Amino acid sequence: MALTSVGLATIYSVTWNLTTSEPGGEFWRQVYAVPVGLVALIVCLSVDYRTLAQRSPLLYVAMVLALVAVMVFGVEAKGSRRWLNLGFGSLQPSEFARLALALVLAMMYGGDSRRSARSIGELMVGGLVLAPAVLLIFLQPDLGTASMLLPVYAGIAYVAGLRMRWVVGAVVVAALLSPVVWAYGLQDYQKGRVMTFLDPYKDPKGAGYQQIQARVTVGSGGMIGKGFGQGTQGAYRFLPESHNDFVFAVLAEEQGFVGVIVVLGLYLFVIWRSLEAARLARDRVGAFLVVGLVSWFLCQVVYNITMQAGLVPVKGLTLPLMSYGGSSLVATLAGFGLILNVRMRRFTN
Amino acid sequence: MLSPGATGAFENRQNTEARLIGLKAISLVLFVFLVAAFWVLQVLQYAEHRERAERNHTRTLPLLAPRGVLFDRHGEVLVQNRRAFRIAIVREQSTDLPASIRRLAAITQADEAQMLAIVQRRRGDPIFRPIVVIEHATDAQVAAVVAQQLELPEVVVEQVPTRTYPAGGLAAHLFGYVGEVQPAQLQRAEFAHLSQGAIVGQAGVEQVYNTLLMGTDGNRFVNVDSRGREVEELERQEPVDGQRVQLTIDADMQRALEEAFRADGYNGAAAFIDPASGEVLALTSLPAYDPNDFAAGISSSVWQALNADPLRPLGNRLIQGLYMPGSTFKIVMAIAALEEGIITPDSVIGCRGSGVFYGRSFKCWNTNGHGAMTLRHALEQSCNVFFYTLGERMNIDTINKWAARLGLVGKTGIDLPQENASFMPSTEWAARTRPDGRWYPGETISVAIGQGAVTVSPMAMAMMMATVANGGTLQTPHLMKAVDRGKGWEPVPSAGPRSTFVMAPGHLAAVRDGLWMAVNTPQGTATRRGKIEGKDVAGKTGTAQVISNDNKAAAQAAARAAGRNPAMYDDHGWFVFFAPRDTPEVAGVVFTEHSEHGYLSAPIAKHVMETYFAKKEGRPLPVYRSPAAPAKSVVAPVIAGAPAHGGGR
Repeated sequence: MALTSVGLATIYSVTWNLTTSEPGGEFWRQVYAVPVGLVALIVCLSVDYRTLAQRSPLLYVAMVLALVAVMVFGVEAKGSRRWLNLGFGSLQPSEFARLALALVLAMMYGGDSRRSARSIGELMVGGLVLAPAVLLIFLQPDLGTASMLLPVYAGIAYVAGLRMRWVVGAVVVAALLSPVVWAYGLQDYQKGRVMTFLDPYKDPKGAGYQQIQARVTVGSGGMIGKGFGQGTQGAYRFLPESHNDFVFAVLAEEQGFVGVIVVLGLYLFVIWRSLEAARLARDRVGAFLVVGLVSWFLCQVVYNITMQAGLVPVKGLTLPLMSYGGSSLVATLAGFGLILNVRMRRFTN
Repeated sequence: MLSPGATGAFENRQNTEARLIGLKAISLVLFVFLVAAFWVLQVLQYAEHRERAERNHTRTLPLLAPRGVLFDRHGEVLVQNRRAFRIAIVREQSTDLPASIRRLAAITQADEAQMLAIVQRRRGDPIFRPIVVIEHATDAQVAAVVAQQLELPEVVVEQVPTRTYPAGGLAAHLFGYVGEVQPAQLQRAEFAHLSQGAIVGQAGVEQVYNTLLMGTDGNRFVNVDSRGREVEELERQEPVDGQRVQLTIDADMQRALEEAFRADGYNGAAAFIDPASGEVLALTSLPAYDPNDFAAGISSSVWQALNADPLRPLGNRLIQGLYMPGSTFKIVMAIAALEEGIITPDSVIGCRGSGVFYGRSFKCWNTNGHGAMTLRHALEQSCNVFFYTLGERMNIDTINKWAARLGLVGKTGIDLPQENASFMPSTEWAARTRPDGRWYPGETISVAIGQGAVTVSPMAMAMMMATVANGGTLQTPHLMKAVDRGKGWEPVPSAGPRSTFVMAPGHLAAVRDGLWMAVNTPQGTATRRGKIEGKDVAGKTGTAQVISNDNKAAAQAAARAAGRNPAMYDDHGWFVFFAPRDTPEVAGVVFTEHSEHGYLSAPIAKHVMETYFAKKEGRPLPVYRSPAAPAKSVVAPVIAGAPAHGGGR
């Protein structure tokens, strides 16, 4: 619990950082999201996760409907429809989809001890549950968020007894399918991102710019960093999306390798403690729920940070807890509410 | 259904725990990998990334130093600087250079191809250095760029101090002009510290005193954001202005000189010297150019026109033109003969209109003969036979020696670039250059009246006259009076005399008298033309042949047939002078091209000297009245059938 607040403090300071000496609107909006997130956390904490799990099919259907609503009424920005305008603020339902998904899958595989993810059929059932959410988010289009639903499924399937040979098989199939996906499945900008990733200096002013600048930003931080508020890459807007997807790069610039170690340590600690909660969980539903959420958290944190080191293609994925984005913060904190819920109720019966 | 079944629960829990450990292991591995990645980026590759980040946001912008202001001898500003703007492009900031250039050309209505060519020529420069594509931007161009600065982060407007010279090309050859440093010049030590595009003096005083005038450019180090907008200034190295320079020139005399030349319609050259010091009070060479054309970055059409002009306006006739001195050389002969003891001031030589020397007849210009002449009258009336006789009595080397002492051999040493050396023949020269190695005494007779192999620059003639005026000291002419290195005016001493001899007082008086009579008596060759009441102007006229008299008529006929102006073969007119006779304050030369008669140069000299005296005495400056008939010049109407005549006056 204490360390979620440390994570919070980190966002706090970093959000301050990148808006330089005068915090901009983004900073304040992010600050406002914190109490909302804490409320969400407390709400998720207060209701027994088993009650939620029992209602999960309903929650999940509601979520899918919300995503359909986004398709229809959503606010369009930067070429995609992701937000619902609620009058007092906007909401990004896709951020909450994984909560509902984790609940429904945990219920599905953990609710009945005889059930597991050993057979293809059982895997397929989970996949069918997963499909509509992924599809709807993918169509927004928001490939990043959509693909981040997969770890939830994969994580739960893994602890639910997924046979390792299926994993190996899936990898082989993916390798075989990748040229097909390349040719037909990807849009041009996505291909561009992959191409630039392979050789960012081919187009240093265009597609490779972000990647190069991310590396420069991170690299120029050195061992101890340039100091709080002294970063130039983010402050002078050389690094696009510096308050958003690339917030960690700004942290690396200003706080250096030392700061990176500290923050990475915090994230690892959060994951570690969460997995501990899974181990201590009173039942399989709780354990699976935690694993589903942690799997997502791990994947998104690792992918985002790797991207900021310029080692994986740039994708519009936020860094949970640190990046700008109210819905993301609230949803993440709600997720931790669920995890704490499981941990807290480990002794109750 | 919700209650967990007892069967297999333990087994499941064990299984789940094993898989949880697997998850922990996976996350640990991933985080170790991340730490390693950041170690490489932040610690191992730190220096490289640090430099790139610095380059990203810092810019060095030049602060150009204005060149030093030029003053005249009385403190009047002659050449100063105004603010101008130029537009440059920073390639580093451009994502698509040809598109950037196209956009810039479109909004400034400038020539896109020319801009591309400039950028192409400078492609070797560092990518962050601005390349100037519009050297002197109009207000409209600057406004257009500033208005669209957000869309054109790669375009910068730089303020540049630009030279402004007096209107009408006044003293153009004195000031010279400035221009971009040439690639070949960059190899020289003097310019080693400059980069391409720097503006340096390329002619005249601007060139000779470039180091003083140039100053040191400063720099601004600024932080910019990703749009190239300046965020803050980190450091500022102020430019150091070029040093202020006071010239020996008198602006009023300079204006009077060029007004008179233009009123008379002559091209030519002139110099006015303070005989005591060698300071140049005024000088000109016409036709000239407008140095302002160069200050604004000369257009190729103007440059080509200047180079193609047959009248060669870029050449400085005063120090580069070499002409026969004609009768003005008689002054050298007079001094040589007196000082060598060949004659006394009272020696008498008869003139019958011609004389036979070395078996050949040489004519006087007055074919009726001048009769019995002393030196004074021979100078007054420019009697050829008198000086032929002196030439017969002296050898060429003696004449050469005295010509050298009077400054007619070699360069005058004036502080202007590309001076040509005046030339006097000698037996040594003949031995060195001629097939038969011989100098013929008959040639000395021609030299005695300034014809033949002797060629001098007008500047050398001015120094000859200054030397006569001061009684034998050949000064080095100079233009720099004082320089202000930031601590007030420091006088700049002249290079000192090139040579000195002391003329016997009687000899000096005889020469000065003869020259005074030439200007002031009814028989004098420059009478009424150069005379200033109460100022005792002393002077001598002369004509410099463009072509020998024997060939002149034929050449003029040929020119007329070819549709060219036959006046191009007309003689040039010399007038050399000093005043006042007994205490000379000003000496010099006026050389008018194709004026045919030396006395037609005299009114110009007179006007400038009158200006000098009027200014000195606090009287209103005179207004020039051109002699009634504007004489022939290349631009004036042709006078057909100019008669041939022997010798000069």
